[in-house]
Amino acid sequence: MIHRLLAVLSFVFLCVGTASAEPLKWGGPIGSQTSDGYNALGPVVKQPIEFPHYRHARDMGISCLYCHTGARRGYVSVIPRIDKCIGCHQNIESVRNKPRIKKLFEYWEKKEPIPWKKVNDLPDYVRFNHERHVQRFYFRQNRPIREVCGYCHGDVANMTVDRRVKSLSMGWCISCHQKDHRENDVSMKTSHGPYECWQCHK
Amino acid sequence: MSITNLLNNWSFYRNKRPYRGQYDLNKEYSEYKWAMALDLDICTGCNACTTACYAENNLPVVGKKRFHHGQVMHWIRIERYWDEKMVDFPEQGASFLPMMCQQCEAAPCETVCPVGATSHTNDGLNSQNYHRCIGSRYCSANCPYKVRYFNFWNYPSTAWPAPLPDQLNPDVTVRTKGIMEKCTFCVQRLNEAKSRARTEYRLVRDGEVVPACVQACPTSAITFGNIVDPNSKVAKMWKNQQVDLYKDLQEKDNTVRGYRILEDLRPFPSVMYMERIRDTEA
Amino acid sequence: MSESGINRRDFLKVLGLGGSSLALTGCGNTDIRSGDELIMPNVSPEDFVVPGLSVFYASTCTQCGSACGVMGRVREGRVLKMEGNPQSKISGGKICGLGQAAVQVQYNPDRLTQPMMKVGNGLQPVSWDKAMATLNEKVGPKSGIKGENFAFMTGAMSGHLKVLVQNYLDSLDSKNHFAYEALSPSIGFAANKQVYGVDMPRLHFDKAKLIVSFGSDFLGTGASPVHFAAEYAKFRKAPRGTLVQIEPKMTMTGANADRWIAIIPGTEGIFALGVANQLLKHSEFTNTVPAGIASLVSKYDPETVSQITGVRPELVGHVASLLWEKTPSIVISGASAEGHAHGVQNAVAIQLLNKILGNVGKTIDGQAKSPFPQIAPEAGSFSSLKAMNDAMGGGKLQAVFIHGANPVFTAPSFMGFRDNLRKVPFKVAFVNAADETAQECDLVLPILTAVEEFGSNIAWYQPEGVEITMQQPLMNKLYPDTRSMGDIMLDLVKQRRADEYKNWPDFFSYLKAAVINMKPAVKYTDTDEHFWYDTLSSGVIHIDAPQEQIGDSFAEAALSLPEVQNVQDPKFPFYLVPSERHYFRDGRHANCGWLQESPDPLTTIVWDSWVEIHPKTAASMGIKEGDYLEIASQNGTLKVKAYLFPGIHPDAVSIPLGQGHESLGRFANGVGVNPFTILNPVFEKDTGELAMFGTRVSVKKTSDSEIVVKDEGPVSTQMGRKLVVTLPADVAQLSKEI
Repeated sequence: MIHRLLAVLSFVFLCVGTASAEPLKWGGPIGSQTSDGYNALGPVVKQPIEFPHYRHARDMGISCLYCHTGARRGYVSVIPRIDKCIGCHQNIESVRNKPRIKKLFEYWEKKEPIPWKKVNDLPDYVRFNHERHVQRFYFRQNRPIREVCGYCHGDVANMTVDRRVKSLSMGWCISCHQKDHRENDVSMKTSHGPYECWQCHK
Repeated sequence: MSITNLLNNWSFYRNKRPYRGQYDLNKEYSEYKWAMALDLDICTGCNACTTACYAENNLPVVGKKRFHHGQVMHWIRIERYWDEKMVDFPEQGASFLPMMCQQCEAAPCETVCPVGATSHTNDGLNSQNYHRCIGSRYCSANCPYKVRYFNFWNYPSTAWPAPLPDQLNPDVTVRTKGIMEKCTFCVQRLNEAKSRARTEYRLVRDGEVVPACVQACPTSAITFGNIVDPNSKVAKMWKNQQVDLYKDLQEKDNTVRGYRILEDLRPFPSVMYMERIRDTEA
Repeated sequence: MSESGINRRDFLKVLGLGGSSLALTGCGNTDIRSGDELIMPNVSPEDFVVPGLSVFYASTCTQCGSACGVMGRVREGRVLKMEGNPQSKISGGKICGLGQAAVQVQYNPDRLTQPMMKVGNGLQPVSWDKAMATLNEKVGPKSGIKGENFAFMTGAMSGHLKVLVQNYLDSLDSKNHFAYEALSPSIGFAANKQVYGVDMPRLHFDKAKLIVSFGSDFLGTGASPVHFAAEYAKFRKAPRGTLVQIEPKMTMTGANADRWIAIIPGTEGIFALGVANQLLKHSEFTNTVPAGIASLVSKYDPETVSQITGVRPELVGHVASLLWEKTPSIVISGASAEGHAHGVQNAVAIQLLNKILGNVGKTIDGQAKSPFPQIAPEAGSFSSLKAMNDAMGGGKLQAVFIHGANPVFTAPSFMGFRDNLRKVPFKVAFVNAADETAQECDLVLPILTAVEEFGSNIAWYQPEGVEITMQQPLMNKLYPDTRSMGDIMLDLVKQRRADEYKNWPDFFSYLKAAVINMKPAVKYTDTDEHFWYDTLSSGVIHIDAPQEQIGDSFAEAALSLPEVQNVQDPKFPFYLVPSERHYFRDGRHANCGWLQESPDPLTTIVWDSWVEIHPKTAASMGIKEGDYLEIASQNGTLKVKAYLFPGIHPDAVSIPLGQGHESLGRFANGVGVNPFTILNPVFEKDTGELAMFGTRVSVKKTSDSEIVVKDEGPVSTQMGRKLVVTLPADVAQLSKEI
């Protein structure tokens, strides 16, 4: 029963989401074909706070890893705790009265967690390891962090609320794992990612 | 492996594996071969390993009736045997045999899977992909050790009344009806350790990661490690016991205790057992 | 998807991404989706939570009395698994299956989640306020409860909770602390006290070349099974030691013996004296015992011993020659040798062998002496149950508290404990689940489990120095309406001594202050706070205390075994061996699915009770496996399935303890039978303890039969296959192994 209710609710969110005019160029219809040939675009997700990624990552040039601290050291990338947001924003008086920031402080004062919606949601049986990818491409190959995260997440730095832009399907993963990638930024030696079942299937 | 694949590559699957050079510390994706050495002389048959496995791998408790129907899901079990020559009493005690998936190099289960749900991983494990499995149960029929377990029931709906699901390990899938499962050597732990090691530009250290059964065993009867690394304890033990991963029938001294169970079937198991000892003069 | 709570793909919430994410639906996620699930990052950093990573916290396992140091694996605020704590000298980083099941106690679906009060014949939920008000009314300062009309029954106990219990009793001027363990080591303690002057000596299995164990299941149910298993492993390494086990029914330890000898229950002491007689014939041993004992021993020649014990006469000399050849050795006695009317005498006779062989000081010496007698362990005994039962029966008690024991289940029916308990006007149980005892109580208070609670423990068997194992919560409490036992005790103490305890708002602060007080004894030099956090993070406090001195005095009068013990009773021809299963003990953890489904090591039976009977006896009575037998003692009858078991004396039958619950939960209720009920009132003469193995029964075959559910196949041998290969010890070259 509750599932059905939730399904209806999410459908409502979905409609509302598509209807409202998103300020950015990532507004194509769901399932648009992208150059890599996979159904890529996910639905527009309505978040409790319309978090402006572009402001933080593009305009302020903050590294993705500053907030998503788990990405370099663990399986999950971690959505930051509110105290992390507040840590900066309590000192940024200029935007204090902006509606999004007011909302943030409302949550903080109520000591209530923000119910973010999961945008890049892999099936629960997938063991995806952020650490491996960040270590390999950011730390070892020395590629820019926005590019490294962008392999899977797209150009989040130009989005407001994040939207899934890659298909994240198994075939899509494998297509990259089969390619040869340079081992690090100095050597020309290459290797591919592992693609045996137990690497990702729990 | 599909039938076509199997037939086309028959020689590879039946004769080539394992081949010397298959594992190599310096070759990417060949640097690990997980193996065990299990000392039957100090195994007391206490079942700590079994319970640890239930805890780690989300094994369902099936209940009496289903247990009786042979639907129990213990990935590692302790078999108990009495001496055949026993007269009135078992004067030399019982024989305990912990039996889990032997992670065979030439695994009989792999060749018969019609959908390729079970296959060999680069680190020498016999993997089982639950999402590909269609439940034909050929693998179980072909397993000489009978260590593959089939989900006859939708256990998630019955085996964990709330709040028991809170205990389940998020790193391991909860399996539903219609699929085969088996011991994984706690692959979730191995993957985590391998990842950690890669981040630190090294190989997994000996003893850094062990499956749940090995970790629990109160007598430390089980040794686990990477047999490719000649300095690992398990590699030293295999060598010392004159058991060679690549040989089907070992030529060894009769004072040496190492053996692999049902070796003559040529599955090349990755678990070496060490013979139980009894003081015949006692 | 909808009818099941969770399905195959509900791989239980990769709670991941942020702090604790909430899986929106009951079904799992099988697709790549967006916007369907929530991620709820924490507001501020929280203990126990590193998203997506396991953190390990040290604590203590309280599933049995060994107090193994353990580590709890915690993910997103939930404890998932128990592992051994390598810093604990007791567990050595290892853990048994019973310890693993601590998480099943925690997440048990049948846990009591709110206080209950007796209304009419049933228990009704009440609020904590009401419960505490009732407590105050019934046992508070104005209630008139004082001194002898109050009793507090606990299980085995140690640490600071014990101090609080003691202080509460002091505040009531009551001396009635009844520490009750159904399977207590008291008889062994009494024998040790007589022989060595201490309750429990330190046993060095690893140093022995030969262990002769009279019914001691040290690998399964002994004082510290995980520690002894590690010692046993060392004992089996080169030069490999030999284990000889002499007992009526094969225990797990017996199953690992090089030589297992079946003996008539209760005659172990005679066998030991027979062995002693043989040993004393060697000139080197002649002056090791007083002349009186030597002459007592001399009448036990192998033939006499064989007649009494039912053991082949040559085995007496055989065991003696083994003991003579292999030194140092260690001779120990266990439950099946001690649970008789002459149990202490049996054990003393067995310890006599250590004296003759000069093992004292080599393989047996003193434990370290704890500098904190107040928190020292109380191992519990049967006599305290008896004392309480008598007091209740005499109408002396107006109020009783029961914690950590389930006497209604474990008290033999001849005591009439349930009826006597009903005579007490006000009964309170502190429990995790509404067990049989709680059903009889007026107020049932749900307490935290061991993984939610702070605490300190000291085991009564200490392998090295004194180890105080610390307990800390591995997660927040699962149910808001459960309370810490420590907090409740503190509240109770404050009812009468508010001033003395006003500095401690809760048990945590009390424990912290008390532990910091121990700092000087540990020779810790850093600050108090550091000491506290070091203690919690390592989980153990080690104290290098000096060893207790043990003597080995054998007064001649001390040894007086009854002449002939093997008396046949035509009405009850069989000896009943109520065996202790290593994961069930007295049955308190029977409501864990893992334990029910963990096969008994020897019979491989699951989810049931059974009666073990020797195949020869069974054949003579026409009994087949699965036949229901009526096992009748003077005090009751049990109907149990037969299992033909070669590891038992033909004159004995054995029923495992721990099953037969009526009210513990869905996994235990109605499973098997409870052999505690049919025990006879046979008491150990010196200690007054119940002689667990002193019951005689008759066996009657009924026409019913049912399949025995077990892991074992239809054939119990290897059928000539080389599955477990056995190598003679003289061929093996263990010293060349790695």
